[in-house]
This record gives sequence, structure tokens and C-alpha cells, in this order.
Amino acid sequence: MREGLAGKYVGAKVRRVEDRRLLTGRGRYIDDLNLPDMAHAAFLRSPYPHAHIRRVDIDSARRMAGVFLVLTGADMARLTNPFLGMMALDGLYDPVFYALATDRVRVVGDPVAIVVAESRRVAEDACELIDVEYEPIAAIANMAQAMDPMRPPIWPRARSNVLWEDSQTYGDVEVAFAGADRVIRERFAQHRQSNQPMETRGSVAEIDPVSGELIFHSATQSAHSLKWSLAFLLERTSVWRSIRELATNREKPRKFVVGARAFIKSHPDLRTATKSSQPAMLKQLRREPKRIVHLSEALLGLLAKDPSRRPRVLAQDIGGAFGAKGLVPREDVALATAALQLGRSVKWIEDRNEHLMVGGQAREETLDIDVAVTSDGTILGLKVHMTMDVGAYPGFPFNGAFFAQMVKVMMPGPYRIGALRFDTTITASNKGTYVPYRGPWAAETWVRERMIDVVARELGIGRADIRLANMIGADELPAAMVTGPPLDVRMSARRTLEEALRVADFDSWDAIRDQARSEGRIVGMGLATFIEAAPGPPKFFDYISPGFSALAGVEPAHAVLEVDGSLSVITQQVPHGQGHETTLAQVAADELGVAVEAVRVRYGDSSITPFSLFGTGGSRSAAMAGGVVTVAAQELRQRVVDIASDLMEASTEDIVIEDGHIHVAGTPAIGVSFAEVAAEAVRRRPGSPSDGAIRVTSEWDGGAGGWAQATHVCWVEIDLDTGLVTIPRYVVVEDCGELINPAIVDGQIRGGVAQGIGAVLYERAAYDGDANFQAGTFMDFLIPTAMEIPDVEIHHLQTPSDIFANYRGVGEGGMIAAPAALTNAIEDALAHLGARITEQHLPPARILELAGVIEAEAPTEVGPPDYSAAAAVPAPRPSLIRERMPTLTPAQAQAVRRTATSVRSGARRFADRYAGRP
Amino acid sequence: MSDDRCEVTVTVNGEERSLAVECRRTLAEVLREDLGLTGTHLGCEHGVCGACTVAVDGAAARSCLMLAVQADGCEIETVESLGTEEKLHPIQQAMWDEHGFQCAFCAPGFLMTVYCLLRENPAPTPEEIREELSGNLCRCTGYASILTGVQAALSRGAAADA
Amino acid sequence: MKIPRFTYHRPATEEEALAMLTEFGEDAKVLAGGQSLIPLMALRLSRPAHLIDIGGLRELAAIRERSGTVSVGAAVRHVEVERSALVARAAPLAAAAMPHIGHGAIRNRGTACGSLAHADPAAELPAVALAAGASFVVRRASGERTVPASEFFLGYLTCDMGPDELLVEWRLPTWPVTAGWSVQEVSRRHGDFALLGMAAMIDTDPVGRISTAALSLFGAASTPIRVDAAEKLLTGEPPSAALFDEAAEIVKGQLDPPGDLHGTAAYRKHLGAVLTRRCLSEAAGRLGAAA
Repeated sequence: MREGLAGKYVGAKVRRVEDRRLLTGRGRYIDDLNLPDMAHAAFLRSPYPHAHIRRVDIDSARRMAGVFLVLTGADMARLTNPFLGMMALDGLYDPVFYALATDRVRVVGDPVAIVVAESRRVAEDACELIDVEYEPIAAIANMAQAMDPMRPPIWPRARSNVLWEDSQTYGDVEVAFAGADRVIRERFAQHRQSNQPMETRGSVAEIDPVSGELIFHSATQSAHSLKWSLAFLLERTSVWRSIRELATNREKPRKFVVGARAFIKSHPDLRTATKSSQPAMLKQLRREPKRIVHLSEALLGLLAKDPSRRPRVLAQDIGGAFGAKGLVPREDVALATAALQLGRSVKWIEDRNEHLMVGGQAREETLDIDVAVTSDGTILGLKVHMTMDVGAYPGFPFNGAFFAQMVKVMMPGPYRIGALRFDTTITASNKGTYVPYRGPWAAETWVRERMIDVVARELGIGRADIRLANMIGADELPAAMVTGPPLDVRMSARRTLEEALRVADFDSWDAIRDQARSEGRIVGMGLATFIEAAPGPPKFFDYISPGFSALAGVEPAHAVLEVDGSLSVITQQVPHGQGHETTLAQVAADELGVAVEAVRVRYGDSSITPFSLFGTGGSRSAAMAGGVVTVAAQELRQRVVDIASDLMEASTEDIVIEDGHIHVAGTPAIGVSFAEVAAEAVRRRPGSPSDGAIRVTSEWDGGAGGWAQATHVCWVEIDLDTGLVTIPRYVVVEDCGELINPAIVDGQIRGGVAQGIGAVLYERAAYDGDANFQAGTFMDFLIPTAMEIPDVEIHHLQTPSDIFANYRGVGEGGMIAAPAALTNAIEDALAHLGARITEQHLPPARILELAGVIEAEAPTEVGPPDYSAAAAVPAPRPSLIRERMPTLTPAQAQAVRRTATSVRSGARRFADRYAGRP
Repeated sequence: MSDDRCEVTVTVNGEERSLAVECRRTLAEVLREDLGLTGTHLGCEHGVCGACTVAVDGAAARSCLMLAVQADGCEIETVESLGTEEKLHPIQQAMWDEHGFQCAFCAPGFLMTVYCLLRENPAPTPEEIREELSGNLCRCTGYASILTGVQAALSRGAAADA
Repeated sequence: MKIPRFTYHRPATEEEALAMLTEFGEDAKVLAGGQSLIPLMALRLSRPAHLIDIGGLRELAAIRERSGTVSVGAAVRHVEVERSALVARAAPLAAAAMPHIGHGAIRNRGTACGSLAHADPAAELPAVALAAGASFVVRRASGERTVPASEFFLGYLTCDMGPDELLVEWRLPTWPVTAGWSVQEVSRRHGDFALLGMAAMIDTDPVGRISTAALSLFGAASTPIRVDAAEKLLTGEPPSAALFDEAAEIVKGQLDPPGDLHGTAAYRKHLGAVLTRRCLSEAAGRLGAAA
């Protein structure tokens, strides 16, 4: 069945290629993989949020029938390299830690031991036999406790639970605030949320029985990132052994160094960026000299290792992620180590309780905001202080600080904001790891859109009017955000707002609401507009982290005519619900003139897919992968046409490809097939058949890039008896450029809105005031059901443009705007009762508290102290902190110093060579 | 551990199977691990998400909340019984046409819930469908496409095949 | 999240089941539908050494009407209660509670007596039993006793049953045809355990004054509870919105509910008043509806 529109698949609701297997239960999710002789792992996890580990006794567990191996933190410290944060931000404390807890546990669920047994059941039985002696330490449960100098530091080397403080100013903030008629201040708090895909994390570490090679099957969003992280972290080798190895076999690292050098050469920005971050890196080393030992061991080990011994990562069907599967799980490192130790394959599938505890939590951020406005509602400038609670263990390779940068850069959104001061405070707590969750920077949209309503209320201006007065319109483009990123002529946020106001009949709303109130019904309506860098303007990531565009800004792909005449697209993307097997095939099929079913999209195998550390995330697939597949398919088509024109003795310009048939224009009866072209290509260039007959490798930097944008309108009705909120109508007006597959676009938007609604009304990764986790089952972490989620009405706009590959992302937008639209609607509904919505989580009890129906109880999530009164905070008492620092014996200290010094000089030589210096 | 083993005879997707399994294993585990029917997914293992829903004697049941030995003598149907990749069941066909699912990890549970619903009630109202499906969690779609899929299945007479 | 080891027993008769309970006592748990027990075991919060599966005992699987009571056997599943014409006619309060219990797939497997013996204070059926003046037939190898609902629920997940006893029957008095009923609850999501819920019945005398009132709350304390003071207030008065408001205030004043992640104590107290009003108004609308 031909599903394209007028011979074009792009733009059509093509049914998904992957669905036949997924709908019949023939998908291959990670837990569906069963290898011969495969063992099963379970983790013993800490019941305490914060405690010293005094003793771990694994003897009984190890002796249990059916148990093959038990490893603890001490084993990890012996066998692996530690996780080392790579964020070179000045003053940021980035801890060093192992896959399993060594001397202390820092979160409920912290893995203390891995048990490998004949079945998961037996492994869990054995976990119960491990005897751990804990000595509890005062826990850090919230931002206020993190800033309390009397509380012990979670990372003693940090000397504080404030891990980073930063301040950045764009534009002339002083002038903006001096010229203001009013400065309006508010504090907004986002609660701790969690991605919770329906499939948890999980991996199978397969050991090839012949080669001993590690084949790591995993539900990961980024196969290459996981591969290189595992290569970096696994199989610890001493520096001297690596150096010996390198000295005896110089060929081994040569390819690696040459490759790395070529990469650095082709990305000059990277070098500049590395240079600019060097002082920060050196500061980190001074603070924690052991870092250099670990770094050298890991990097030299990586260099010295036989490339064939590097792990191969394989991902197949993945049951969702939303950001939770983009980082490297500590459990994966323990799992791979156990498999390598045993020489046999081991499976670990995270259970829901584990996933809720430690599988990734997000968004716990409090933002204090000052807005300088004139009395007519013109916004002159913002001062924002964001406090982010990143939990205990930082994500690897991206920690919370990275996402804090994104919040900062995106803060102005589509508004004309000429000055911004953005302060950041990052705090640690004894809670789960901060991970990116569908639009990880979304705090900027929620706070900005909420604050605009606050300003409108304070000044007595309409909510639409103030937006229209401050939002950048088409006539002002191109422009730039005060934080740097340019806004091109297709930035159409204002058009989405205007259209949404029309669709929603906004002008009639106040009368409708007041009429309803007079009938005793409590209703409200909220607006929210956002822009999303999907993929963003050229080199967008450099505004987030200098040099990062070079690492992540380029999308590769292969387009292959296989020897049998079939067509493949090979992508580094790792789809996990987005339907790339369909959308990328649509793009390629249009370029190649074949049916969508004729293009096979291959992904997930680090041994065949092109290298990129990004994987799938950041709403980038349509723009980046869609773009590169267009480029690659066009080039492949040209190569096919060249050969076909020879075969048919015709001019290349006269060749057309239609419905998979290659022929001369006007004479469809005479032609050649792709198989014949493939055979000819092989004849001309005999080579490895695994490379196909013709193989094209392309890269795409996003081209003109650009923004996706939307305005959401949410209507609510609130039952003031019960506090239950229903959503009778929800409208999204969006512009993401050309749609590759409208059904998939709409699905992404609806899914995102559902998660945004879930966050506001239902979901919270809750901890009590002592950092004990409260939401360890789906009875307590409440994902909304079909009864709670409304229909979402979607209107598409498309700003006309003739740019190449005018696709922009929609993966995250639904969730970015929904909390803003919903909380704005709730405040609109309750405003006459004096309710002010400054927190994002609004369960029914809280709704009634805010409406004044019941008395409020103190929340367990306590924000940071008032920064304007920060001077009153007592200084830390150093003696207290020192007490809690681990003390090294003089001999240990000497050893550390000695190793650090000797390694430093060796490392410097290698670093020089690595950077291509003489 | 022999005293921990239980004899179980079940009819799975029309085929009678006799097994000796550890008594503590759930029906879901045995379907997946011993019978290779990995279409039945485990999403929470405590009976909330519904990904493991199968038909037990024609009625929807959570296979993670049922010991395999409790299914002794029962007739079990899993997602694998509905249709094949070549010939989808009308409910699967409707879900395909309507882009019902995204990551589709939850799909087998939804499909079996719908299958049992239509067998029980060949003409459910939209409200009844929503209510019945509220026992299954989906994290990707916001449910609209799944509900549309059920309506499409109904309008094509899928109830006759349930 | 895997179930720990246990020894499985499938008695062929009730007698055999009782003998096993005598033998294993504290080490045993009765498995009926397993919809509460299995997840507790998967989380390793419950770890009985022996499971005695009564799910297949046909002799315990009947819903019967006899001598003024509706009797629900130990192996009767929720779905059977939900669809029973007898229950709908002769125990409408129980019938009204059924759609609130979990989701369809849970009701297909779970049993009414299992839920009652589990004695979760947030569950619907214990409160229904309490409002309806139900009783429980509890049997051990050496004999049986009948415990009124008012004495059956002792505390959180605790009821008046010895380790060697089996709840064989739930007996609901046949509904007075003139009485009205209502079961309502407030939960975070559809199908969740109630933040607070109420099972209510009122009956009136020939001149239209309330002759019997039962207000039974779930999710309000460590057991389901009746609110005597409010019931007393209602008795002897003609039903009216003002009366129900007054009753609601009494309920609110009497409650001392727990607070948790999903709702504060103040919120649950408030819901006590809301549900009292709503349930009484619905029950009043159904006076005589069972006739």
C-alpha cells in the first residue's frame, strides 16, 4: 500500500515500519534477550540515605547454592576506574566515585554489592544474606539542609553540600533595573520528578566465549557514549603497565591517537574550548589530586588496550526513556565487571522499585526571579537565582550543572529581554541522581510563563496583552537572545500565540470564567509559549558549553546500496519509541524514489553505526538525522544514477527513479533495477560485502537549524470540595517546520503534554525530611491513566521557508509548556480566592490549601534560604567539617603524593602528544 | 529444592503445556522464560502498570500477580495468540493504522485488555473503554492514539474476532 | 522484585485447608486471588513459609441467599460479586463498592473475602461490611465462630482471626428494601486506593424520618470506622440538606486521619465532611430504590 502523498512520503501519516513486530509481541526488548548459560544479577542496596559502611560480609551469600559471584565496592575500586565528572566549570566540585559504594552510602538504593546467580530470584535471596554494618550520618534531604553548614558534606572533599556557585550577567542589568517603574519578585519551586519509562533500565553483558570480547546489550539512548564510557571505566590497568604496553607496541595506540588528532584538528573550536576550561580542570585536580591518577590510569588504559577488546554496545527495541537511559548507569559498570570476572554472560533488569529509587530523578529546582518592568508592562530585565538539587551521585557524562547552563541560556525565551543576571547554586543531597527529563531546561519556560502572569496581575494588564507586548515578532527578526543564540526569521512563537488566542477565543474568556463562578463553578484558563532549540541555531551548544558543538553538533549517517540491491540507512540514533525506522525511511525513500518499505533503517550497534556521542535526545532526531539522511540519500542516489546511466548509456540528467524502478525519463519500459546497479558497483569496486555495493557516509551540522515553538492553552475545572482538577480542553498551536510524519509529531506532542500534566497533578519522587524515599512503587509514584489525560487538540503552523531539511524537533516541547499552561490555568481559576501558584506540584490537598479551604501543612521540600538575606547565614565551622573528613595515614598520604607527582609528568608528555604538540 | 517445584498444566495459546516450575515463579515469568513468550512484558511486577496483562480463561489478568501454579488447568492467551506480523488481528491492525503506540512496551498489555473487553462487551461506550483501559499505563502517547485505535477496531467489527 | 521461597499447598477440600492451617499456623498464609499478597511478597514485605491456595475450592466459591443473608464464599472473586444479580438486589451497598476496587483485571482475580481478611483500612469492602452490619464466618479445624464486622477489624492489616483460622464466608444481611445507599471515595487517580471513602446507608420510617443511619469511612484510621455521633444526629430526623451538613461537620470533627504523601490529615478530615454530604444525598435519593 502506497501511503505517500503524490509520490512523497515526507508529510504523510505513514504507518510505522516497526509496528508489525511490536504489536505482535515479537519486539526484542532487553529483557527478551536470553543467551545460553546466562547468569542473572541483583544489587544489594542501601536502606539508609547517608551512612558510613563499616563492614560488608559476603561470605554466606557467596556460599549459597546457585550463586556465582559477589562483588562489593572494594572490588570495584580494585577492578575498575572510578566515575570522574568531566564538567570543567570553574569552582564546580565534581566527585570521584565507583560503581558500587565503597566507604559510604549516599542515597537510599545506593548499590553496595552485586550478586550474580543462576536466576534473579536466587540473586535476590543471596542479597539478603549479605551483612552490612552501617553507621548512619545526618542526611541532606533538601536545599535548606544542603546550605546548613552544620550538616556533614556528602562529598567530604567538597567541604560543603553547595557544589557550585556561579553568576553570569548579560546586557546591562543595572541600567535595566534602575530604569524600572517596578521590580516584581517571586520564588518558584519545581519538585523532584522522574522520567519512568514503562521499561526500566537493563543490560546483558555478553562475553563471547571464544574471544572473551564484551558485547554489551543495553536499553541505552546512546550506544557510542555507553561504549566509550565502558571502555574508559572498565578493566583498570596500572599506569606503568599501560606505559609498558604502549612502549612495546606502539602500533596499538597509533590509530587511536591519529583518529583523535584528526578529530581535534577538524574541530578547532574544541581546542580553544579545552584551553579555556583548563584552569577549571587544574583547580579540580588541586582539590582532588587523586583525580590525575585515576584519569591517567583510565586514559592510558584506554590507549593501551587492544581496540578489539573495546566493548561493543548493542541496543534493540527500547521501551521508552525520556532521558533516563542517556547516562551511564553505575550498575552497568558493575554488571560488565562481574561478567568479565566470571567469563560468562550476565543479565540485569532493573526492577520498578530500583528504577524509582535510583533510575533517574529530575527538575528539583527553585528559582528566585526579579523582573524589572515599566508600568505599561514592558519587561526591561531579569535577575534569576536558580538553586538546583542534583542529588548524591552526578550523572555521567552529563551532570546537573550542564542542564543548569541550558536553563540559563534559554531564560529569555522568545521575549525581548535586554538584560539578564543569572545566578546558579548547585546543591547535593542524599537523593537520586539528577538526570535530563524531556526538556531538562524547562524550568525557564515554567518560571517565565508563570512570572509573566504574575507581572500582568500586579500591573493589572491582560495576560495576552503583556505577552504580545514583549514577545519578539516576525518584523523584528532576525534577532538574538541576550544570552547569545540568534533567533532566525522562522522563529514564529508570536504567530503561535496569536493563533492560539484566536482558537481559544481568548477575548471571551474572562466573561465565561466569571459567569461560571457566578454559577458556583471554578474554571480557569492558562497560556504558555515557548521556543525550543531543536536543533537550535548553528553551534547552539557552544552557548551552553564552549566547544560542545564540536562534540555533539554534527550528525553522521551511512546510506548503503547493499549487494543484493536493497537499501539501508545506518544511523547513530537509538530510537526508543520515536519511530525512526519509519521517519528516516520516509526521508530516504523520497530522495531515492523507492517505497518506504524498501529502506531498512539500522541502528543501535556500535560496531556498524557511525560515531557520535549524542545518541537520541534533545528533540534533535528530525532535524539532525532527518537532515543527514536527506544528504546521504541524495548522494547515494547520485552514485546510483551514475552507474545506471552507464548501464543504460544515457545521460545522468535523463535518469529518473520512480517506485524503485530506474529508467530514462519518458521510457519507463526500459530500465535497470537497484540489484543490477549493485551488481555493477560490486564489479567496479570489489571489496568487503559487509560494506555494501555503494556506501555513502555523510555528516550534517544542522544547516540553518532553527527553533521549534508552540503556544499551549489549558482549561481547568476545579472541584473545591475535593481539590481534584479536570482538564476539559487543551490546545496546542505549534510550528516545527515541515512535518515528516504528522501522526508521529502529534503523538510526541500528546505524550509530552501528558507527562507535563502528570508532573503537576500526580507525580512526585518524594522524600521525607530525613531523605527517606517515599515513592518506591507505582502505588505512590502516580503516572496518570487514560481517565486523567484529556484529549489534546493540535493545530500546526508552518512558517514558509525554502531552507534545506526544514524539520525541527517536537520531542520535548509538549512537556516543556504543559506545566506552565496548567499552573497558569489553576491560578486563573483560584485567583479570586487569593491563591498564588508558586510551586509546580499541585495535588488535590495542596489545591485546597491554596484556595484557603483547608489549613496548610509544612512541606518536606524546603527551598534555599532567602538570598537577599544570605549574609545572615552563619559561616561554616571548619572544625566540624574537618571532623568528618576521612583521614589518611601519613604513609597513605605520602603514597598519594608520590603517585600523583610521578604520574603527572608522564601524563603531561602524553597530553602533549595527544594534542599534537612536539 | 524439589519440594519447591510445582507441576503445572496450562493451555497456552491453544496448546497444552505441562511444566515443573519453582512454585514461587509468577505466570509472567514462566510465560517469558520457559515458554519463550516474551511478548508479555513486566513493567512493575506489583500489579499497577498492566503491561503483563494476559487472558486467563478469557478474562484479563495481571500475569505478574499470579503464580504460575495458580494457572494450573487454565486457558491462557497472550499477545502472541492475536495475530502474526503477516496477518494482524483486527485490534492490532487498527492500532497500526492509528499509530496507537510509540515505544510499545505497554502494547501487549493494552491489546490483551482490549481483546478481553471486546469479548465481554462487544459495543463499549467511549467512557467504558477509557475506564477499562485505565488499568494500563502508557508513558509515551497520552492515550489518545490508543483510544482512537480501539474505536477504529470497533468500527471495523473487531469484537467479532475477540 | 522476586517472590521469596515458600512451600505451596493446594488443599482439595476446605477440611484439608483447615488441617494445613492448624499444622503451619503463623508460618502459613492463605492464598485466594493473591492480588494483595503477591505484590507484598514480590516486594519481600511478606514472606510466609507456606502458601495454602484455596482459590480452587469450589465449595467456597458460591454466592448464596439464605435465611435473611447474602453469603459470599471465600473463593468468590470480585468480578462475581460485581456481576451478581443477587448482590445487586439484596446487597446493593456491596455492589456499589465493586467498581471502585482496583481495575477490571484486578477484580477478575481478587476475592472479596481475601480483601476483607487483608483488612486494608483504605479498602472499600471492610467499610461496606461495617456499614451493612455484616458478619464473618471464621473456621478452624476444631470449630467455627461468627464475628460481627464491628468486632472483626482490629488494626492496620489486622483482623480477628487466629493463624489457624480461615475466613470462609462473608454474610451480609439482606438489604431492607426501603433503605438508600451510597459508596463514594476520593482518590488521586481512578482505581487507586481511596484517600478517604465512605459507605453509607440510611433507612426511613413510614413517616419519613431516618430510622437507621450507617456512615462507615475507609482510609480514615487504622481500621474502617463508623461515626456514631453523626449517625445519632441523623436518626429520628427527616433527611434534608441542612441535616446532612450538620452530620458532615460532626464527621469532620470526629476524624483523626493519618496524613501521608498523597494527602494531609487536614485534607482527609475535610473530605470526611464532603463525602458525608455527598453520600447522604445520594443515599437519600435512593431511598426505596431497592424495592
